[in-house]
Amino acid sequence: MSKFINESWLVLVMGIVFATMLAGAQQSLSDRIKENQLRALNEAIAEVVPGTIRSESIEIENEDFKGNVYKCLDDGGKLVGWALDSSGGGFVDKIRLVVGIDPAGENIVGLKVIENVETPGLGNKIQDPEWTGQYIDLDTSREIKVEKRPPNEGANEVQAITGATWSSRYVTDIVNAALPKVRPELDKHR
Amino acid sequence: MADDNGSNLAQFKAGLLSDNPVLVQLLGMCPALAVTNSLENALVMGGAATFVVVMSNLITSVLRNLIKPHVRILIFTLTIATFVTLADLFLKAYMFEVSKKLGAFIPLIIVNCMIICRAEVVAIKSGVARSLADAFGIGIGFTLALSIMGCVRELLGSGSLLNIPLFSKEFVDVHAWVIMVLPPGAFLTLGAIIGVVNHLRDRKSGGGA
Amino acid sequence: MEFGVLIGIFISVALVNNLVLSGFLGICPFLGVSRKVDMAFGMGCAVTFVITVSGVVTWLIVHAVLTPVGAAMGDPGALYFLKYVAFIMVIASMVQLVEMYLKKFFPPLYEAFGVFLPLITTNCAILGACLYIDMKPETQSLLNAAVYAFGGGIGFMMAITIMAGIREHISFSDVPKPLRGAGITLLVASILALAFMGFTGMGK
Repeated sequence: MSKFINESWLVLVMGIVFATMLAGAQQSLSDRIKENQLRALNEAIAEVVPGTIRSESIEIENEDFKGNVYKCLDDGGKLVGWALDSSGGGFVDKIRLVVGIDPAGENIVGLKVIENVETPGLGNKIQDPEWTGQYIDLDTSREIKVEKRPPNEGANEVQAITGATWSSRYVTDIVNAALPKVRPELDKHR
Repeated sequence: MADDNGSNLAQFKAGLLSDNPVLVQLLGMCPALAVTNSLENALVMGGAATFVVVMSNLITSVLRNLIKPHVRILIFTLTIATFVTLADLFLKAYMFEVSKKLGAFIPLIIVNCMIICRAEVVAIKSGVARSLADAFGIGIGFTLALSIMGCVRELLGSGSLLNIPLFSKEFVDVHAWVIMVLPPGAFLTLGAIIGVVNHLRDRKSGGGA
Repeated sequence: MEFGVLIGIFISVALVNNLVLSGFLGICPFLGVSRKVDMAFGMGCAVTFVITVSGVVTWLIVHAVLTPVGAAMGDPGALYFLKYVAFIMVIASMVQLVEMYLKKFFPPLYEAFGVFLPLITTNCAILGACLYIDMKPETQSLLNAAVYAFGGGIGFMMAITIMAGIREHISFSDVPKPLRGAGITLLVASILALAFMGFTGMGK
């Protein structure tokens, strides 16, 4: 036993000192880290639902929906819209996006892809505001279709990115999957 | 135990050039390939690795007379893992965007062979000054190698440097050699650079002898 | 038990997101041990074993130790700062165990490996796989984590063995001097990586 202590006392002492150091660093930095993690999401919400000053997370009872919904309010507490944080598979790996809809829940007012690893130069153009801008004013009650040509007047369509049809389709799939599950429940939270 | 500054400087320069960890010793290649898709990533990774190797060498050197042979690898690993965790926490708090892009490669500094190598080869038997000179040389040499790769890949693959676009968006869309920021481009760049470095070394030793 | 999901995870990490050719892990042994096919295959097997066991054990450490103890202290994530230290200690111990086991039961294999065996500890593929298992949402169950780890090991084995096969052939050609060794291997790896990129989208 004393041989063991003789060989390893330094390891034990260092272990304790280091663990304390790490615990201290963790304590002092964890608030900042959490803030950082939320900031990307909050900035996205403010972008997709213009006029948002603050947002509250709301519970969606539909178990099939695996995302988060936020009620977006302005300064005076008035409802300015809803933001859906939803993810799904993309061509390469996971895509995470935030889609904003108007207070009535009828039209899309914004869309932002916040996480993706699609092919640079092709699939990752789904991040471009020019492309996601196509979703604005689309009808939330009908399925959104992806076509390889400019959208027809009045149709619920977006044009796919040239050379990145799959990535474009996956983004639309995520939106199409999320909207029907969330829309019916919005009234409960007005 | 007087280390003369001349040889400390030589130790420092060795780590930088003639014994460059990535280009000559062929260590630390995983981050050299993974995080060099942009210059910013390369610099931050280099900085983090330099921090870890400096602290690791410092502590190992200060405690060198107390570290028993049987447990030394354990102690090195413990020290390195601790400082990597510190670096990781720091980056997540103060450079969040970059830390996301570096992903798992910050914790992977723990298994970066060059760091544990320095502790084993230099710090355990040398004074503090010597160990620090060695650590800084290796760290900066590592950063240098990564930065070269980062420059090449970012310039050719995204048409930018440090996220500042150097060409118009249309030019980049058409002409950028996107493969450079993807895995095949990484292997290609590193292979080419090592080829060039070897050629230069051959010429130097063949011509200078 | 969704078999399809497990196959998906396996194919994804072995082919589509191969740890070496797409994830940049395990490059040092990939360059160092890929000269002969039988050594490469042996290394691949050893790594697969260590990766699978380490993946499972580190998953258990996070989910069965750190999280519950943290939760008891008020915040499940409270002890996560110990993750990296715990992971590397586990891996180092696993490799030590493999070494002892080989030395006792397969001495010729032990001799053949030489210094490469302890170097498995610094194989970033192993720590990398453990970290990814911890990060990814699809590996939050033990079975998924085990399949991912195993798939990662198999992917590594495939990459290193293919590279060894190619290098055995290259040894007969006249490679320019500056490129011999690491240079040509990396250039070949570049083409292999390009080939493996063709697997993208296969998960669908």
